[in-house]
Amino acid sequence: MANLNIRNKQERTYEAIVIGSGISGSWAAKELCDLGVKTLMLERGRNVEHNKDYPTTNMLPYEFEHRGQITQAEKEANPIVSKCYAFREDAKHFFVKDAEHPYVQEKPFDWIRGYQVGGKSLLWARQVQRWSDFDFEGPARDGFAVDWPIRYKDIASWYSHVEKFAGVSGNKDGLPNLPDGEFLPGYDLNIVEKHFQEQLKKAYGNDRHLISSRCAHIHEPRPEFTAQGRAFCQNRNLCQRGCPFGGYFSSNSSTIPWALKTGNLTLRPDAVVHSIIYDEEAGKATGVRIIDANTKEMEEFYAPVIFLNAAALNSNLILMNSTSNRFPNGLGNDNGLLGKYVAFHNYRAQVSGQYEGHLEYTTSGGRPTSAYFPRFRNVYKQETDFLRGYAAGFSASRGVRPNTEGIGMDLKNSLLNPDQYGPWYVGSHMMGETIPKESNYVALDPNLQDPYGMPQLKISVDYDDNDEKMIKDYQEQMSEMFEKAGFTNIRVNDDHRQPGLDIHEMGGVRMGKDPKTSLLNANHQLHAVPNVYVTDGASMTSTSTQNPSLTYMAFAARAAHHAVAESKK
Amino acid sequence: MNRRIALRHLALISGGLAFIPSCDFSSDDILTAYNNLKITQSQKQLLGDISNVIIPAGEIKGALDIEVPDFILVMVNDCLNSEQQTLFSTGLAAFPDFAKQSGGGNFANLNPKEKEAIILSGQNLEGDETEKGAENKAISYFLNTTKRLTIQGYMASEYIQSEVIPYSLIPGAYNGSVLISDIQKPRING
Repeated sequence: MANLNIRNKQERTYEAIVIGSGISGSWAAKELCDLGVKTLMLERGRNVEHNKDYPTTNMLPYEFEHRGQITQAEKEANPIVSKCYAFREDAKHFFVKDAEHPYVQEKPFDWIRGYQVGGKSLLWARQVQRWSDFDFEGPARDGFAVDWPIRYKDIASWYSHVEKFAGVSGNKDGLPNLPDGEFLPGYDLNIVEKHFQEQLKKAYGNDRHLISSRCAHIHEPRPEFTAQGRAFCQNRNLCQRGCPFGGYFSSNSSTIPWALKTGNLTLRPDAVVHSIIYDEEAGKATGVRIIDANTKEMEEFYAPVIFLNAAALNSNLILMNSTSNRFPNGLGNDNGLLGKYVAFHNYRAQVSGQYEGHLEYTTSGGRPTSAYFPRFRNVYKQETDFLRGYAAGFSASRGVRPNTEGIGMDLKNSLLNPDQYGPWYVGSHMMGETIPKESNYVALDPNLQDPYGMPQLKISVDYDDNDEKMIKDYQEQMSEMFEKAGFTNIRVNDDHRQPGLDIHEMGGVRMGKDPKTSLLNANHQLHAVPNVYVTDGASMTSTSTQNPSLTYMAFAARAAHHAVAESKK
Repeated sequence: MNRRIALRHLALISGGLAFIPSCDFSSDDILTAYNNLKITQSQKQLLGDISNVIIPAGEIKGALDIEVPDFILVMVNDCLNSEQQTLFSTGLAAFPDFAKQSGGGNFANLNPKEKEAIILSGQNLEGDETEKGAENKAISYFLNTTKRLTIQGYMASEYIQSEVIPYSLIPGAYNGSVLISDIQKPRING
């Protein structure tokens, strides 16, 4: 291999560099390329090309040696990632194995990562609910973190922009706390979910709603998706393998091929970012230093604009590792708050039950989403002894099972002719807002290094009393709602999962109005280094309750347009 | 799949080594393909026999016809922890004597109904603190695990999912209120 370091500096200079190819990075790159900006996208993992690199996508169940299960040896070698529901035989190749990128758990934290082109956009749960001002105004109203420097009006058109391209299916529900968007036809709720919806209306009037969860799936073919090379969702529910139809939004199926087609994108996989280069004389960032994942050689790339989209905690890590005389504690970290106020979503509790009604019905086919409870606690005013609230997922299901008693020909005939329907099973899980605190932080470990010689990230994030109260309230409220709907055999659960397993870690490089108390301004620029934009989960000032990816997409698109407008000034 | 090929290769290699005097084909060699288990060829045959009692051949193929015992051993070898593997192996090793004691003969020579009865009674054995109790616990663990994996391996087999109840990667659009009385499926006779 040629020594890349002797390549002419000009050859390694672009008009913008995007660090990370996941959901937010690919959106930044796509917008920049559409605007004619020669963009380099760096990805620490290997390349994954749409379709070509989805080895399991069309495999039949019997083609998996362990029928989907992870082996004991894999579990023992990967105690962290094995906890993730999607780390199964069909998608394990898209997850980072524990030994690949070690980190320090100062407090227990399951850090689930996907290092490849497309990142976790191949693996996400594809739920896309908009934020409203009830979310953006949370910190200011309730006195935590700092005030968001933006409001819904600043982001609404960008939500529309990304929804139209990504493809979002949902219904116009008309809820002020969960604004409607640019929707393809929504997916149907089933008969028991509709029953629950009606019972909630009876019991709570207009206070609590159950809706079909908005999801990033193409529910019907449209020319704008055909133009991306995407067809529509076939209800396979095998999304984590990569979708040959491009039925759901992933960077791999959508934004990256689109950006490549403009001719403006250079994609560089296997590039582990070491740091962002800061030029003290120019007073700005001038490029990015990487470690080639294969040769371990260092290399530098240059651009007047840098987008940092390495996923929340890795974006923190890169900034902390980007030190200079001007920024000895990490790039843009004049106030010492870099890495602090990390938060996540509280997924610890579930409520399940059964329903003995509508027993003459079942369901058929598949759908890529289920039902969703927008937050109903503390929306209009503070009404509980904890701050903020929770959204919840909900689904009802009924399957037919065989009688598996006995052995021999009777068993065989039962298995081949399943006829046991049983009751409807109903289940819900909470998605709670956690309050960002200075004591929930990430930092560089002073001693330990990863296999690339980078400092290991030390993670110190925990639940607090507010979370415990919220869990209790969710369990009580959901049980009460289940009872009112006539559900029986209601069970509440707290699975005591560690933070991180929600895969919604956020913050550390928060946005704010004041450089003294935040890292990023209203346009996602580092206050102190305005040609560096951070538009992934790291930028989150608070978490609210919605699955965050849609908001990152909108942030990235908005910031990319801002960067281009700035460059033309 | 790979392991099945590996087994075949192993057989070929062993055949090729027949000129080595120490190679004794009459001995009951441990199957090296399942490296976490100490399973002999005759034990694998017994496992096959048991799985074929659980799902016998009839109008359509049974467990043994579609190599379900291979699947069972792959799963036990790869997906159970060492404690469970020990229980499984102990139960498998203890089963022939248990069968003799309860059925009065070699399991292989019994008729299907007698075999069924022995497996059913073995599944319900309960363990206790005694040595015999520990063995009983292992036998019931072995049989219940074998039944579970026989069902899984049989129903999620290429044969069933392509020829008997074809599996579709594309399940069709969702219908959230289907009247069960409207679902008509031809009965499959096993």
